[in-house]
Amino acid sequence: MQGPLIDTLARQGITRRTFLKYCATLASMMALPPAAGRAMAEAMAAARRPSVIWLPFQECTGCTESITRSHSPTLEGMIFDMISLDYQETLMAAAGHQAEEARHAAMKENAGKYLLVVDGSIPLGRDGAYSCIGGRSNVDILKEAAEGAAAIVAMGSCASYGGIPKANPNPTGAVSVSDIVTNKPIVNIPGCPPIPVVMTGVLAHYLTFGSLPELDEKGRPKAFFGETIHDRCYRRPFYDQGKFAKTFDDEGARMGWCLFELGCKGPVTYNACATVKWNGGTSWPVESGHGCLGCSEPDFWDAGGFYKALSVPADPLRIGAAAAIAGAGAGVAVSFANRAKKNVARQTHETLTVEDLEK
Amino acid sequence: MSLDAIPIHVIDPPSAEPGLSGNAPPLLRELSELAKRLLASGETSAIDLSALPLTPADLAWLQDTLGAGEISVSLQANGESTLNETACPGIWWVTHRNEQGAVTSQFIEVAFVPELVKAHPEDVKNGQEYLELLISDL
Amino acid sequence: MNELQFLTWVRGPGLDIAVGIFVLGVVWRLFEIYSLGRKKDLSTPRHAAGASGLHTVFRRSLPPPGMLKRSPVSYIGGYIFHIGLAIVVFGFAPHILLVTNLTGLSWPGLPSQFVDLVAVVTMAAMVVVLVDRINKPAKRFLSTFEDWFTWAVTFLPVLTGWMAVQHLLLPYTTMLALHILSVEILLVVLPFTKLFHAFTLFGSRWYNGRANAQRGVPV
Repeated sequence: MQGPLIDTLARQGITRRTFLKYCATLASMMALPPAAGRAMAEAMAAARRPSVIWLPFQECTGCTESITRSHSPTLEGMIFDMISLDYQETLMAAAGHQAEEARHAAMKENAGKYLLVVDGSIPLGRDGAYSCIGGRSNVDILKEAAEGAAAIVAMGSCASYGGIPKANPNPTGAVSVSDIVTNKPIVNIPGCPPIPVVMTGVLAHYLTFGSLPELDEKGRPKAFFGETIHDRCYRRPFYDQGKFAKTFDDEGARMGWCLFELGCKGPVTYNACATVKWNGGTSWPVESGHGCLGCSEPDFWDAGGFYKALSVPADPLRIGAAAAIAGAGAGVAVSFANRAKKNVARQTHETLTVEDLEK
Repeated sequence: MSLDAIPIHVIDPPSAEPGLSGNAPPLLRELSELAKRLLASGETSAIDLSALPLTPADLAWLQDTLGAGEISVSLQANGESTLNETACPGIWWVTHRNEQGAVTSQFIEVAFVPELVKAHPEDVKNGQEYLELLISDL
Repeated sequence: MNELQFLTWVRGPGLDIAVGIFVLGVVWRLFEIYSLGRKKDLSTPRHAAGASGLHTVFRRSLPPPGMLKRSPVSYIGGYIFHIGLAIVVFGFAPHILLVTNLTGLSWPGLPSQFVDLVAVVTMAAMVVVLVDRINKPAKRFLSTFEDWFTWAVTFLPVLTGWMAVQHLLLPYTTMLALHILSVEILLVVLPFTKLFHAFTLFGSRWYNGRANAQRGVPV
C-alpha cells in the first residue's frame, strides 16, 4: 500500500477521471485557479501516502465522527483512507502496547515528514494529570510528537482554541495546540465539529504543494474561513429587510426569516457552513431553522448565551437599579448642599445694613 | 404523526430572482482572448464560474449567449458531468454534479478537447493490456 | 483577549458599567437641576398672546426670522443630523432588539439599506457642521474642548456602526465591539457634558418661556 495514490485509488475502483473531477471541484472550493485543479490531480496521483499520526486529547471524538462518517461514501472519505493513518486510537485495531509501538515506529520511520493531527485541548493543570494516555500526560505526548512533525493540523475548536474544556472556569487549565507548540507550522481547523471537506482540502493542499494553505491571523485556511456565515447566508435578504423570526415556531420561523433575534452568531462567525453545508451538502444549521452557535470561533462557549441576539446584553444588567438609587442619593445630597449655599448667600446679603453701607 | 401534521408553509422561491449583475458580458471578451491564446500557442485555459460573482440570471444569460455546439459529452464519474461544446468551437461548458445531481462546480474551458475527455496514456496502456488478455483468451 | 472576548466584554460587564454610570449621572443631574428651585415671582403676570412655556418649547425648534439665512449650516445641518441620529438609533432592528431586551418596549424596524443611507447622510451633516465650526471665526472662538469632544463621542458610534455593517477596515466582530464600546463611552459622558441637553432641552425651554410669559413677552 505504499505506491502512488492513483494506483491505490484504481484498486478501489476509482477512475482517473473521477479523481480529476474531484480535484477540479476541490480546487474550486478552495478558491484556487482552475489550472491548480489539474496540477493538484497530477501531484496527488503521484504522491506517496503521507504518514499521519492523530492524537486525541481532551475531546469528545466528535471530530473523528465528522471526518469518518459524513462523507464516507464519497471521495473525500476514501482519500482520507489513502493517507497512511498510523495512529488513531478510535479507528485503529491495535490497543495498549501495540498501539504505542505503532506510534513510535511511525514517528521514527517518518521523522520530520509526518503530519500530526491533534483533536482535543491539552490540560496543563496539575502537571497535565487531568488527561493521560498510557500513563503519560497529553502535554508530554504532544511535545514529543510535535518534535518530528512536518506540520500540525489542529482539528476542531478544542485543539485550535481550547474549546469547551477551556470554557469558564476552565477547571483543567486547558490550552490549545498553538499555546504549546510554537516552532512548527500549525493550521487550525476549528468547528465543533469541523467540516470534513476543510480537512481533506488541507490534506490535498499539503500533498500537492508540500505546504499548508494560506492562513488568516487565527491560523485558519482563508479559503474556507474567509467570510462570515452571515455574509454567505441564504437568509441574509430577510435580515436586510428587517424580517426576523421571534420564536422558533412563529410565522417568521416558518417563512424562513432571519434568526438574528433568536441568537444566531452568524455575523461574527467565520466558517464555510453556508456554502459547503453538511452531510454531503444536504443542509446546515440555519437551513434547518436554528441559529449559528459560532462553534468555530475562540471561546464561543462563553460568548454570552446561544439564544441571545448579538445586540443584546451578554449578561443581565445588575448595577442599573443600584446606580439609580445612588444617583438619586447624590442628587439629593448635592441639592441640599446647593440650598445651603443659597441660604448662606441670602443671609450674607441680609446682614448688609445701612450702617454697613455708610462705613 | 404524518408530515402534514407539522404546520410547514411551503413558500414559492423568491419570484424576483436577482437579475443581471453586469458581470457576465466581460467574460465574453476574456473568452475571446483565451481562444486567441489557444490558437497562437495551443495553451488551454479555464474559467471557474463559481469563483465569480455571477447570479443565476447571469449564468443563464451566458449559457444562452454562448449557445449550443455540435458535441455534448456526458461523463459518469461519481455523479454526472457534462462537457458541452458551445456555438463557439473550442469553448466548452463544463458542469460537474455529485451523485445527488447537485452542481458541485462549473467551468468554461477553452481547449480543442476538454482535459477530462482525453484518455491518459497510463489508462490507455491498461486498456491495451486488457486487450492482450482478451486476445490470449480467444 | 481575542475579538470575541472583547465583544462579549462590551456586551456584558462593559455595558453594565456604562448603563450604571449613565443612570446614576442622569438621575443625579435631574435631581440637582430641578431641586435648585426659583424664587417666587411676585410681580403681577402680564398676559400676551403666544407667551407661555409650551409655546416656547415649540417656537425654539424653529429658527427666528432671518437666522436661517444668516446661519443655514447650523439649522439645516443640525436638523439633518438630529433626525438622522433618531432614525439610526431607533429604526435599526438590532437597536430595537436591545431596547426590547432592556425595557420590553418594541416597535417595527426600518429596512437596513434605508438606515444605512441615513447613517451616511447623518455623518455627512455632522462633518459639515464641524467644518463650519472650524471655519467661522466666531464659532471657533466660542468653542471649547467640550464642544470638540462631544462632537467626537457622538460621531464615533455612527461611524463605527456604519463601518461594521459595511465590513470596512476591521473584521465585523472587532468593529461591532468597537461600536458598542463607543456607545458606552457616549453613555458615560452624556450626563456630565452638554450632551445632557437630550434630557434638559424641553425643561429649560419651558422655564425660559414661562419666565418671559410672566413679563408678557412671547419668546
